[in-house]
Amino acid sequence: MSSDPEKMMSKADKMTKLTLTRWSADWRGATELYEQAANGFRASSKYEKAKVALEKASKGQEMQSSPWDAAKHMESAAALAQKLSIWNEVADFYRKASELYVECGRAQPASDALGKAARALEEVKPEDAIQLYTDACEILEEDGRDQMAFDLYRACASVYIKLEKFADAATFFLRLGVAADKCDATNSQCKAYLSAIIVYLYGHDLKQAEKCYNDCSQIDAFLKSDQNRTASRLLTAYNEGDIEEIKKVACSSTVNNLDHAIIKLARKLPTGDVTAVQMNAGDDLDEDDLT
Amino acid sequence: MTVIDILTRVDTICKKYDKYDVDKQRESNISGDDAFARLYGAFETQIETALEKAEIVTKEKNRASAVAMNAEIRRTKARLSEEVPKLQRLALKRVKGLTTEELAARNDLVLALPARIEAIPDGTAGGPKSTTSAWAPSTTSRPDIKFDSDGRFDDDYFQESHESSQFKQEFEMRKIKQDQGLDMISEGLDALKNMASDMNEELDRQVPLMDEIDSKVDRATSDLKNTNVRLKDTVNQLRSSRNFCIDIVLLCIVLGIAAYLYNVLK
Repeated sequence: MSSDPEKMMSKADKMTKLTLTRWSADWRGATELYEQAANGFRASSKYEKAKVALEKASKGQEMQSSPWDAAKHMESAAALAQKLSIWNEVADFYRKASELYVECGRAQPASDALGKAARALEEVKPEDAIQLYTDACEILEEDGRDQMAFDLYRACASVYIKLEKFADAATFFLRLGVAADKCDATNSQCKAYLSAIIVYLYGHDLKQAEKCYNDCSQIDAFLKSDQNRTASRLLTAYNEGDIEEIKKVACSSTVNNLDHAIIKLARKLPTGDVTAVQMNAGDDLDEDDLT
Repeated sequence: MTVIDILTRVDTICKKYDKYDVDKQRESNISGDDAFARLYGAFETQIETALEKAEIVTKEKNRASAVAMNAEIRRTKARLSEEVPKLQRLALKRVKGLTTEELAARNDLVLALPARIEAIPDGTAGGPKSTTSAWAPSTTSRPDIKFDSDGRFDDDYFQESHESSQFKQEFEMRKIKQDQGLDMISEGLDALKNMASDMNEELDRQVPLMDEIDSKVDRATSDLKNTNVRLKDTVNQLRSSRNFCIDIVLLCIVLGIAAYLYNVLK
């Protein structure tokens, strides 16, 4: 076997092409050659070629009906693509890898693959990242492994926050709450609800925040928790327009236990004009109003 | 003599000498018509019993019973004081067979009564009692228990002295420090609680993973065991047969041929 990766590549390509002399492609040999070629390219830092080699190796493994190895190769190819900053290829490769993992019946690596993809694309293509995160969460939920999905939900919500889409972020937190409820992870659940309320408040949406709070109060676990008290304090402070109180609650230890992104949001509360809220509250409590 | 005889004899003797019995004479002197005399007699007896009780109280060791008796004496005194006006009215009434001197004397007696009643010691008698002041300092029974204020709750009484305001300040400061310390402790506890529940959830997360690892490792060990057994069988087979010896012999022959060829070609 020649040690030159290029030669190996060409040899392997020849092995896979069907010609008159060759009636069935020798995938096993070809795959081996591809793998070796990829190692050689990686050693010599020719990442583009290594990536191609890995792709072909993965295809070979697939042909040999070993989706596990195929998926592994795909992942390595995607990592190289990430290094080369070819973003759409990153997404594609990781997706393919994830599908192969699902074929193996292994949900965890599948969602891991999508998670890696999403993390890679967070900065560059956040919408794609969100999509990838959502798909990853679905895979895990189908498999019944909700607990692993918590981190993914949180990461997705933080991406939404970066995009300033607060309603979506809050929705994701609520989905986290549902997943946590399924696994009886009450602490995470309550933290998720508190985060959702803070996100709504940050988005100047007091009504939504209150609605959210009322919904969450139906849940026993939340009702008995510290986070519930913090949330109610925050909302009453908002209703009374008491800026000092809002700041005090935002710096309390309950809020400090939440996600980093949420802490930053909380510190920036109150956003907008709290005095308008105060006036509204005054209108509501007008006793002479008989309507 | 029988008992009955003795009794009748004693009765007749008593009747004979009744006229020498002072008390009985006095009683018989007080006829049913003279209400004043009757009432006055009753008063006298009551005052005397009260005085006796007061005597007993001074000798009494048991404080509770002393207090109870004092209370009774006071009650009696109050009752008597109430009835003095009635007696006074009766004193002024003219009764058959009474001289004017006796009437005046009766009046004097009645007037002296209140003083006598008050004079009965009942455990609270002390200095001069004025009817206007509500509180008189009581210093007789327990001189060491004092109400310092003497009943003067005026402005000066509620004025903060220097020491009291200092004390209050110090108290406030210490309280604030305590609150601060408690706040810090509570924050630390919050952090601990959060970490503990996160750890709890993490462990819960890892339980099914551990179960999977467990089953996979079990499978792997059983596979290994099978493989080992088969390998052992194969090796035993190899060793037990003659192939081993034949292999060695053939090997020696090949080496011999190789050496011979080497020698020839050298």
